[in-house]
Amino acid sequence: MNVQIKEKHLSIPIKMFSTNPTYTNPKPCKHLADYKLIHGLNGYNSLQKSLKTTPDGRTAMNRDQSKIPRCSFCSGYEGRMYFCLICSSVSCCSSSDSNHAFLHSQTENGHEIAVDMDRAELFCCVCCDQVYDPDFDKSVMIKQILEMPRNNNGMDLSKEKSIKRRKLVSKVISDSKISKELVLRMDRGSKSCFPWGLRGLNNLGNTCFMNSVLQALLHAPPLRNYFLSDRHDRETCRKISSDRLCLSCDFDAIFSAVFSGDRTPYSPAQFLYSWWQHSANLASYEQQDAHEFFISMLDRIHEKEEQVRRPNKDDGDCFCIAHRVFAGLLRSDVTCTTCGFTSTTYDPCVDISLDLEPSNGSSTEVADKSNKLSQNISTLLGCLDLFTRPERLGSDQKLHCEHCQERRDSLKQMSIRRLPLVLCLHIKRFEHSPIRKMSRKIDRHLQFPFSLDMAPYLSSSILRNRFGNRIFTFEGDESDMSTDFELFAVVTHSGILESGHYVTYLRLRNQWYKCDDAWITHVSEHTVRASQGYLMYYVQKMLYYKASEEMNCLLMSPRGDPFLPTAECC
Amino acid sequence: MQLASHFLGDILDSIIVDVASECHRIARLGLDRNLEEEEEEMKLSAQARVRVADPSSSSEANSKYVVDIFGQTHPAVANEIFECMNCGRSIMAGKFAPHLEKCMGKGRRARPKATRSNTGASQNRYSRSSPISTYSPYSSSSSVNRLSNGTPGVAGEEYGDGAFAET
Repeated sequence: MNVQIKEKHLSIPIKMFSTNPTYTNPKPCKHLADYKLIHGLNGYNSLQKSLKTTPDGRTAMNRDQSKIPRCSFCSGYEGRMYFCLICSSVSCCSSSDSNHAFLHSQTENGHEIAVDMDRAELFCCVCCDQVYDPDFDKSVMIKQILEMPRNNNGMDLSKEKSIKRRKLVSKVISDSKISKELVLRMDRGSKSCFPWGLRGLNNLGNTCFMNSVLQALLHAPPLRNYFLSDRHDRETCRKISSDRLCLSCDFDAIFSAVFSGDRTPYSPAQFLYSWWQHSANLASYEQQDAHEFFISMLDRIHEKEEQVRRPNKDDGDCFCIAHRVFAGLLRSDVTCTTCGFTSTTYDPCVDISLDLEPSNGSSTEVADKSNKLSQNISTLLGCLDLFTRPERLGSDQKLHCEHCQERRDSLKQMSIRRLPLVLCLHIKRFEHSPIRKMSRKIDRHLQFPFSLDMAPYLSSSILRNRFGNRIFTFEGDESDMSTDFELFAVVTHSGILESGHYVTYLRLRNQWYKCDDAWITHVSEHTVRASQGYLMYYVQKMLYYKASEEMNCLLMSPRGDPFLPTAECC
Repeated sequence: MQLASHFLGDILDSIIVDVASECHRIARLGLDRNLEEEEEEMKLSAQARVRVADPSSSSEANSKYVVDIFGQTHPAVANEIFECMNCGRSIMAGKFAPHLEKCMGKGRRARPKATRSNTGASQNRYSRSSPISTYSPYSSSSSVNRLSNGTPGVAGEEYGDGAFAET
């Protein structure tokens, strides 16, 4: 699914709305196909009444509550029990020598398809293998939905409002067309083979926390296109709002400066002044956190837009540029472990803060051939797994279950209902000891990929997994948003919790640059991979490659003709 | 004793087949992760760290800068001079922030509470330990969840207290 792009000037045919094939439909074996032809859905439907679902989402056959199912051949009750879909007899399979399920298929003609009673899975007695049929899964799911306590168990089967998303994406694309023209006008004359918009930012006195985030945002494709295509008009802004302060205006000024072609380091003094006027409690030049700054900045941009125009009332979505680029939707399911009742809530987010997964136990072991020691490395995927793992809420956190009408032990599970255009992943590199009332930074290395597929963390995938991975359409499946992301910026922190230094690595046209305040240098992939990631910025793959294409088109040839792409000269 | 171990064996068998059945489905439906890709990533990561740690190779991450990609050099403290937009004085870039802090009267006085907003910016919203959705406009109201930059100075402590002012 991930395409390795080696050629820098390769034009990638990108389907704008690629549907997400979340699962493949396996081909049935001959025996299952024959069974379906003869019996259709009869067997599945009559089976429904015998199915029983437990609160953890697992379905089993529960034919007779008073008797243990016994094998029709040996009357045994041990081993795996298989229920014949044609004659309803039960056969056991305890070993390859004692396979009565197979025996049944040989003694009774055509009795080849059975159901594993413990898991409600189809089993072909001749192939001796688990087989799959969407119709069977659908039948099981319908029973599950009907049986589970009210409230659909978080299984909201309503149609996704994908119309707004499409408008958003197409708007972003049209933005990029305008910005390309603008840049051609702006940068004409300066012969440059350096990436567009690469410029150092002066440290104004411990402001690397701000510089590092600014560098990442200046190169976030949808944000860059928005500001460069003059979507935030400073003139209009001043006229409209009575409050002359506007962080977006100051941010716009930085874009103009950084993309002007001037390569001497820029001092974002006006921006700092503006930000401090808005964020009174954060106005201190010492001990600032880059993530806090990022959130604060988005907050200011959002607030200003809210003053100017009211957000859409019908679905509560905000269409300010901060939300349009960074906002996603998180889903939280809290399930009662007694009855299975699930309460679901949705919360918007502009980033995802991840706990650093512990290196002992849940992460991948790497046995490096050159290095005899095998190490346990924390990975970004591991952190995302941890984020979406069901968490047992403590006994002191018992929640009131609507169905049981009592306080019960519960499980909580997070998932992503809607992905943003730009995904900011924040790694919580700190440990707090309540006893010693101290925190310390976790320097442990975190492996992070350059290409990221977020599909396993979507609500549809998490839900599907919770209900046994049945072939069934879950909420969000019909979404046309791609789940493939490309890394374009990494904000790293070095030093201790109380003091340190922030540096940003930018990926432009598949080359990495280090932005260390005023210093812009070229670095190799290795440096980035080995760095200590704190904030990782990923953008939808399609937008990343579109931005790269634009970069290529803007390389000036020595003759100053903007339409002829040049080969790499640096 | 034999009976107990017999039952244990049965339970284990049942669990093993359960896991096998689940993995079988995940694999057949194409829901499993690309293990080859992940292994490749881990290898690249390990290689990268070896190369960066090697003192003989030029460590880009830690070497002192000579020139940047544009051929420029920069002093340790930015020496561009501009006017402070608050008081009008000429300030050197690298000293601007500390100047502005005093100039704007920040850092040593109690600050007003920040306004709330809708970015849903709270970390506590979906933190793993609290099921109740708490809301705060900034990512954390405690100094715990922050990686600071710069050096802790005298104003540091003051700032620490100030951070708790808004809850």
